[in-house]
Amino acid sequence: MRQVLEGSHAVSEAVRLARAQVISAYPITPQTHIVEQLSEYCANGTLDARFLRVESEHSALAALIGAASGGVRTFTATSSQGLALMHELLHWASGARLPIVMAQVNRAMAPGWNIWADQTDSLAQRDTGWVQFYCENGQEVLDTTIQAFRLAEWVNLPVMVNLDAFFLSHTYEPVDVPEQKSVDRFLPPYKPRFQLDLANPCAFNQLAPPNIYMEMRHNIQMAMDEALTFFEQMEEEFESILGRRHGALEAAQCDDAEVILITSGTVTSTSRQVVAKLREKGEKVGLLKIKLFRPFPVNMLRERTASASKVAVIDRNFSFGASGIFAQEVKAALCNFPGHPPIYGYVAGLGGRDITTEVIEDIYWLTKNSTAPENESSWVGLREVDHAVGES
Amino acid sequence: MATQQPLTNLSPLLIPCSYLTTEGNKTGSWRFLRPQYEEKVSPCSAACPAAEDIGRVEMLTAQGSFKEAWETILMENPFPGVCGRVCYHPCEQHCNRREFDEPVAIHILERFLADTASRYELKPSLQKLESKRQKIAVVGSGPSGLAAGYFLTLLGYQADVFEALPEPGGVLRWGIPLYRLPLSILNQEMAQIRELGVQIHCGRSISNEFLRGGKSEYDAVFLGCGHSRSLPLKIPGEDLAGVKNGLQFLAEIRRGEALALEGTAAVIGGGNTAVDTARSAVRFGAKVILIYRRRRQDMPAFAEEVEMALEEGVELWELQAPVKIEAQDGDFVVTLQQMQAVDKDGQRRARVKPDSNKNKEIRVQHLFKATGGEASEPWYAPPKKQRGMLRLSNCVLLHKSREPTLVYGGDLVAEIKSVAHAVASGKQAAIALDILFHEGLDAVLPRLQTCLVGEGPSISLETYLGGPRSLRNNRVVRYHDLNTDYFQFAPMITKPRLLSEERFQSFAEINLKIGASLAIREAERCFNCGLCNQCDNCQLFCPEIAVTRDNNPRGRHINYDYCKGCGLCVVECPRNAMIFKEELLCDRS
Repeated sequence: MRQVLEGSHAVSEAVRLARAQVISAYPITPQTHIVEQLSEYCANGTLDARFLRVESEHSALAALIGAASGGVRTFTATSSQGLALMHELLHWASGARLPIVMAQVNRAMAPGWNIWADQTDSLAQRDTGWVQFYCENGQEVLDTTIQAFRLAEWVNLPVMVNLDAFFLSHTYEPVDVPEQKSVDRFLPPYKPRFQLDLANPCAFNQLAPPNIYMEMRHNIQMAMDEALTFFEQMEEEFESILGRRHGALEAAQCDDAEVILITSGTVTSTSRQVVAKLREKGEKVGLLKIKLFRPFPVNMLRERTASASKVAVIDRNFSFGASGIFAQEVKAALCNFPGHPPIYGYVAGLGGRDITTEVIEDIYWLTKNSTAPENESSWVGLREVDHAVGES
Repeated sequence: MATQQPLTNLSPLLIPCSYLTTEGNKTGSWRFLRPQYEEKVSPCSAACPAAEDIGRVEMLTAQGSFKEAWETILMENPFPGVCGRVCYHPCEQHCNRREFDEPVAIHILERFLADTASRYELKPSLQKLESKRQKIAVVGSGPSGLAAGYFLTLLGYQADVFEALPEPGGVLRWGIPLYRLPLSILNQEMAQIRELGVQIHCGRSISNEFLRGGKSEYDAVFLGCGHSRSLPLKIPGEDLAGVKNGLQFLAEIRRGEALALEGTAAVIGGGNTAVDTARSAVRFGAKVILIYRRRRQDMPAFAEEVEMALEEGVELWELQAPVKIEAQDGDFVVTLQQMQAVDKDGQRRARVKPDSNKNKEIRVQHLFKATGGEASEPWYAPPKKQRGMLRLSNCVLLHKSREPTLVYGGDLVAEIKSVAHAVASGKQAAIALDILFHEGLDAVLPRLQTCLVGEGPSISLETYLGGPRSLRNNRVVRYHDLNTDYFQFAPMITKPRLLSEERFQSFAEINLKIGASLAIREAERCFNCGLCNQCDNCQLFCPEIAVTRDNNPRGRHINYDYCKGCGLCVVECPRNAMIFKEELLCDRS
């Protein structure tokens, strides 16, 4: 049924439909609406789950690690500082191979305090062994969250579904909320491959000395590889039941494109407008949206960008001392691919600053009119600031 | 719709997993802090002059063990039915729950337990100690005398109570109006004291010689004679015919001799007798003015009683000192001097001084004096300090060779004159005599010291007898010692009462009964500060599963082979019934 839903509530509905069994979270703007709704569902019996209130995000994830070890379907949600506080346990969840699903609202890291959209929080957790998705709109958030449980339980890895603060988390859009029975067909009850069992007592995750630790890490990478393959199969199944697919990557008008804009998250929607307008003017521009960030779909990216003469990556995030993080990843993916197009990195919209159609169009023209990238990242729309601390 | 290939997942999963027991890993060796079960003292019980084990009483009540709860009170106080009604409940003032929402209605529960015992005609199973050869005479059958007789009998002594009046009870019978304490309740608890073996001889005045008789058949005499004579006002006209004193009026009512009061009555005084007199006069039809020389907050009467008196229409005139009483056409004209309070900031009640020459007169048809009392015979009160005399918190002990030991107790030695203090006095006297007879005079003070509840002055018979209570750490649990995360807000029970319009028409009891379900709910509000109520948090939170339930008298046992001293159990104990001690300081026996 189509409903007008806030992005946050698209997550909540998905978790309800996925029949999560244990939910634990600590409130943080702009995530709170997600678990607020879920706590009501738990309280009024709509969702048969235990809602655990805890004293921090660290404890929220720790509680889920315990619950998931007991063999139940688990969910949490957080954002920014909260995710940073979970850092230790992010590693633990993946190392322990627990299929925990998290909604992560992309918000800037402090200081200065900023509650607005910025992807640096989740991208800084890139190496923790979590599958990461970046969503464009409410429908994709709902679908991806349902899929996240299926994928997580298949490969025994935790999955993080990212959505931009406010632009997505607090925006109302028409969203198709599927029937419970359709979701049940797609996502059967969780059958854990291992779990704590009083009848057969055992201990998990104790010492792993050098003679086995490396194999365990490799096993996680194998699961990541498998996630990439499984994602395609899973999307087919999802489409056959629910009639939609979004793709790990989505290439729009890339086949004949000379310049391809690479985006993630909500800036993709704005870019679609810009591409349509430029195409009307006869510009050969394409759009490539990256939804699946970990595992990174390297081969797919190579194929989709092969015919372009230039690639421009728009990053709403930054790795200090290097560049925008998606740009880094694209460069790393393409560098061993002979004849790959040059990669232009643009940083825009940090801390919730608008990335308008004008900004994106500027990026296109800058790329088109340049002969070669002049630096690793171009910061778009920087203002003159004349009141720095410590100046006399 | 496309046909789905069943998806299969065959890839291996590598995580560390062990099926070996970890029992060989004695994590207890990591410990440098040791959690232990150690019960402590709840603040209510330390504040109770009679040292009732309130935290435990409420725990038992919440469990529905009403008889055990009632007997737990009887261990320290023979008058739960009386005290549940007339005590000013300092326990509730010190209830830790006060800082959370509202205190537990301890007095209502105490009364409930006594009423329930009476309703089901329960007999307490109290153990008397083996009989001793000493005999003790008790002079006066007020609450202190009866308590002394009761506790002495429990301790194995023969106690004979002598009462000058034809019926026993003292101030409980003659001084407390029926709307606060119905006679049936008093009679029932006195009957229980008699059944225990206390002999009460009424109509037997005791002479001064009785105390000194070298050949007395008694080894000791307890004097709990009370304030049977009113203090004079020391103003002209106070002895005019028709000017009554409050105690006398209250006793007349109890004897059925009081007549209806027409017109206005003035009651002079600010203590409980003054308030009782005023409220009784209302019930006899008078319009009543209560005249007090200090301010309302300085009145020695219990605040709740004053509140109810005002509800019933008593007018309170504060800062008015009577200076002269004149008779005029059958009425009294009282001249009042306006007073003003000095040093108002102090904790004690304010001193007052006359406010210049501001005087006024009041014309009344009835006049009652109730400004305190004194012993009707000077030898009822303790003499000056002398050899062999011990001043204890609630009584004075005078030990002489060749003569009976004298113990002065009750209102004549008490700073606060309440029934609970009278019980405390009788109990202290009984225990002091037991120590004296067994271990001699020098042992009395140090041994009493070991029976204190918290820092005292309340003393516990159960502790004296070495019961389970004596195993507690004597530290009083304060609000910040509790883990209140485990308690939920719940308002205090509404006290069921007669409406004020119903009250002044009769002497029917004002406070009404409550049922068992309400009592249990109220008792469940009790934090049971310092006491283990078997909530199992310690077991639930122990990460090493080192807490087990077993036949240990405390119901719990910590396996120190595996307890690594994390302290979670201590922190999660809601009621501070555990302690965390440095391993090196622990007694490992």
